[in-house]
Amino acid sequence: MAEVAAVVKPKPRPIIRIGLFLISYSFLVSIICCVAGVLALLLLPVLAKNTYISENALMPGSASPMLSSADASDGHMFLNKIMSQNSISINTGIEIPEMIGKHIIESGGEVNYHQFQPISDNFHPLQFFLGPDVGIVQENYSCTSYGINTVGIVRAPRGDGKEAIVIVTPYNSVKTTTSEALSLGVAYSVFSLLSRVSWLAKDIIWLAADSRHGEHAAVAAWLRDYYALSRADLEKSLDMCGPSSVLGLELTSVKTNGESNGFRRAGTMAAALVIKVADSSTGFEKDGLKIYAEASNGQMPNLDLINIVNYLAVHGQGLQVRVEKIWSLLDSWWLYSLGELQELLGKVAKSLNPGWKFGIPASDYVEGCATLANSLYNQALGVPTGPHGAFRDFQVDSITLEFSPRFSSSQRVLFLLHVGRLVEGVIRSVNNLLEKFHQSFFLYLLTSPSRFVSVGIYMIAFALLIAPLPLVAAALFSDASKSKSGKDEASLEPSQPGESIPTFTTWNWIRTAKTVLMVHLWGAIVTIIPYFLCRFPNSSPIASLLMWIASSLVWLFFICAASGSLSFSRASQLQIREWTLLKAVTVTAAFIGLCLMSVINYATAQIGALLLVPMCLMAVPLRIDLTAKTTKALLRGACNILLGFVGFPPTAFIMLKGALDSSDRIRLDDFWNWTESLRAWNSATYIYICMVHLPCWVLCIRILLHRR
Amino acid sequence: MATSFKFKPLTISILLLFLNNVIASSASGSSSTTMHTNNWAILVCTSRFWFNYRHMANTLSLYRTVKRLGIPDERIILMLADDMACNARNKYPAQVFNNENHRLNLYGDNVEVDYRGYEVTVENFLRILTGRHETAVPRSKRLLSDEGSHILLYMTGHGGDEFLKFQDSEELQSHDLADAVKQMKEKRRFKELLIMVDTCQAATLFSQLQSPGVLAIGSSKKGENSYSHHLDSDVGVSVVDRFTFYTLAFFERLNMYDNASLSSLFNSYNPHTLMSTAYYRTDLYQRRLEEVPVTNFFGSAMETIHTDSPYRAFSERYYIKSKTEMPSDQSGWGNRRTLEGSDVLEELIDPKLNAKQVGCPFTHTWNTILGRMEKIAQIDNLVNCGVALMFPIVALSSWLSH
Repeated sequence: MAEVAAVVKPKPRPIIRIGLFLISYSFLVSIICCVAGVLALLLLPVLAKNTYISENALMPGSASPMLSSADASDGHMFLNKIMSQNSISINTGIEIPEMIGKHIIESGGEVNYHQFQPISDNFHPLQFFLGPDVGIVQENYSCTSYGINTVGIVRAPRGDGKEAIVIVTPYNSVKTTTSEALSLGVAYSVFSLLSRVSWLAKDIIWLAADSRHGEHAAVAAWLRDYYALSRADLEKSLDMCGPSSVLGLELTSVKTNGESNGFRRAGTMAAALVIKVADSSTGFEKDGLKIYAEASNGQMPNLDLINIVNYLAVHGQGLQVRVEKIWSLLDSWWLYSLGELQELLGKVAKSLNPGWKFGIPASDYVEGCATLANSLYNQALGVPTGPHGAFRDFQVDSITLEFSPRFSSSQRVLFLLHVGRLVEGVIRSVNNLLEKFHQSFFLYLLTSPSRFVSVGIYMIAFALLIAPLPLVAAALFSDASKSKSGKDEASLEPSQPGESIPTFTTWNWIRTAKTVLMVHLWGAIVTIIPYFLCRFPNSSPIASLLMWIASSLVWLFFICAASGSLSFSRASQLQIREWTLLKAVTVTAAFIGLCLMSVINYATAQIGALLLVPMCLMAVPLRIDLTAKTTKALLRGACNILLGFVGFPPTAFIMLKGALDSSDRIRLDDFWNWTESLRAWNSATYIYICMVHLPCWVLCIRILLHRR
Repeated sequence: MATSFKFKPLTISILLLFLNNVIASSASGSSSTTMHTNNWAILVCTSRFWFNYRHMANTLSLYRTVKRLGIPDERIILMLADDMACNARNKYPAQVFNNENHRLNLYGDNVEVDYRGYEVTVENFLRILTGRHETAVPRSKRLLSDEGSHILLYMTGHGGDEFLKFQDSEELQSHDLADAVKQMKEKRRFKELLIMVDTCQAATLFSQLQSPGVLAIGSSKKGENSYSHHLDSDVGVSVVDRFTFYTLAFFERLNMYDNASLSSLFNSYNPHTLMSTAYYRTDLYQRRLEEVPVTNFFGSAMETIHTDSPYRAFSERYYIKSKTEMPSDQSGWGNRRTLEGSDVLEELIDPKLNAKQVGCPFTHTWNTILGRMEKIAQIDNLVNCGVALMFPIVALSSWLSH
């Protein structure tokens, strides 16, 4: 017994042995993992599942639509009134809200007007993650610059008034287009129907958002006041100039109903539907519906909301439902051949065992890939794809429905009927809901309106990509300490190797970590430089960009000088193989950064990992490659240079844009505009680029340029 | 009542010690020989929420049916876990329909819901079955059945393998149900019990039952789902389940005087239209299903026994005597106090008579003489005989004195 124990004891536990094994073969493991990660990403369209309505209570389509053609023609009359209003006069943007308000009161709803000013979308580093801030209204706005949202509310006759469903129709009150008028017509016909029905359990809010300052701004302003406005704010807003006096008629007519003209609220919002009508008609024989779902920082509404819209649109109204896809990917030959390959593999597998079904047709695969890529890109960008993004900031599930009619204007009533019935069906389904949407997925990527990849599957691709990072870091660290210990024993005094050597290595590790930390600190400085650059008005984007780059470089040298860690002379003098340690720490920092980012926004982390992981893993000083002079080393050097070039954020952006956009016009200042929009939308992607990607890129360049 | 029953059997059993064997035999076979006295129905809808509208409609339809077939409201315990009629989503306020033709409002004027909303719990359900209530619970909420009761227990909701979900928060397991039924049996709270379950995997719910006199039918076997029958696109929900729908369709053809048997009900379920297999369990039930009319459970029809004059029995001296003793004799005899045939009563009296005769020999002879005296019908004959007898006696006595 004792002998056996003595034999077993020195053996480490299996998990440690597996870890050691993986570390010792880290090169092979990292190649396998990276290839598998990219493959898994490409396989996602195949692994996508069909969507299903997960919440029992929703029951979409169980009730027959009540919207009659009379309602639709009412909506059409309303539309005509708006269009005539629009053509009569050079309006001040008050006539249309007035008319909408009148119609709302006639149909039995409550109305109020919400005035707002656009909030300057300055970048405030401190408020970055604090969510939507209470607006800072600028003083020098003239009265005509107020936007006026018209809000109509139908109270549920027997409901408890605790919950509400929101319909949003953005329109430009100064210059209303036909398509905007159509969306208003749809909302009106649905609203007037809902004011008559007896089955409402949630209040209905119709927000006719004045989009002269942008659709998102109007909706966001209303939402902010809905959640934050207090009594005192109310008095102030009534004292505001201009429109309130013009709107006196409606306000008094509401007053005669014995109700206040204050900011009206219904309950907490269960869901919000933004209804838009596209200007261009579809080339298809059916009316089209495009669903936009991505909100800020890659947040998605609950999948059930998309499911019910898709279900009702396809089965109820016979619309052609689409989600946005990247068109340039559709005719890429390599994607198509990949699709054919997986189709072939699927067929072979099926012939082997009829139970195995995983192949999908190649055309489906290409389409799925294009949709998935767009879904991934929009989520990674972190910029909402429509006014629905404002709702998601308040944890309200919402989507934008963009209808594209195929008409001939004579068929407008029919179009209003179809779309109105769809909206009614969605509202009735959400009305059946008992709680918030919670049953279905929040983390998913769409590959088509009826297929999705859930978080459990797409995380595999990411996990495979970043798995080699800690292994390689550990391997490099152990290499560095080994070589150092050998060198130390030879050169320095041979006194107790067990004590002095580990302390020496630890010291070195901390020194390198300090370097990496300083570079990341520099990244933080780079992040907030644009805040000061924005203070200079009237500077062109290209100038701002150059200023940004220049000041970043100055800061980089300043920090290097201050810390002395990046000074090339000292490094070459002391430790020749210091780059190994530096690489180990860089890889660790990249790993930590990617993991943190995957929690905030998976899509950003996924795309970032595709760039960052190969760059970090490949980085070897160019001098080594040049002195070795084998083809393998030269190839590695070339790869490193290429990756270093691609990894630089502006070049990466421009190449991505060039690959995805069909338009040839690519300018450098696009990058500045792009980062500006990221900042304006509080996108975490901006932080990621400046504080994780850029420092890691600098460190990789540092390794490449390391003197041997 | 229950407490008085508890003590008196002791004294009675001492009094009737010599009749031990008689009591024992009658007690053991009580359920089979006990007279069917009354009918009860417990109708349970266990699920909340608007999308479970059909469960409430199921239960209310059954309620209407059993009421129509003659079970009075005070003998129906109706448990509804949610109030669909007043749900804000109901397009027809205060009305519940079980058919899309909307011809019949199930939630009309005379619906007495005994347990409503969050009162419908597993605990309350088991309390109703076993009769262990808080003292404050009114009589209308109790199952006041007795040894001769036929009880219909109808349950609908969402079920699974050996459980039935209550209110989306608790479960009634098949063991709980079997245990409650066993307690009922021991407490003599029913004669026959029909359990009807319309849930998914309903057959599993009564797999643990052991008590005799229980008949159970479920809408689906293990591993099967029970489906709704149709969707009312006006109300926007499914309004009735298939099993219940076809049960109701069967009963709609009947009135309270019909004699359709349970087997005809059970055979009326077609697995194709039901989309599940109705499963019934008869191994605990003694009678043949062909001979049991459905109104035995779903109505209030009982076997009546015709007697010529209901009060004749009271003219008899011994009957009165035994009558006073009977109500206290809970164990084997109490049940016979009602409507048993007169021949049974005589059976009952005879042993008592014998007992008194055995007790006193003198009165026994005297009674015999009296009895014989009574048999002599005409008093004139007696006098004539007596006169005729006088002459020989006088002649004999005078001859002896000489």
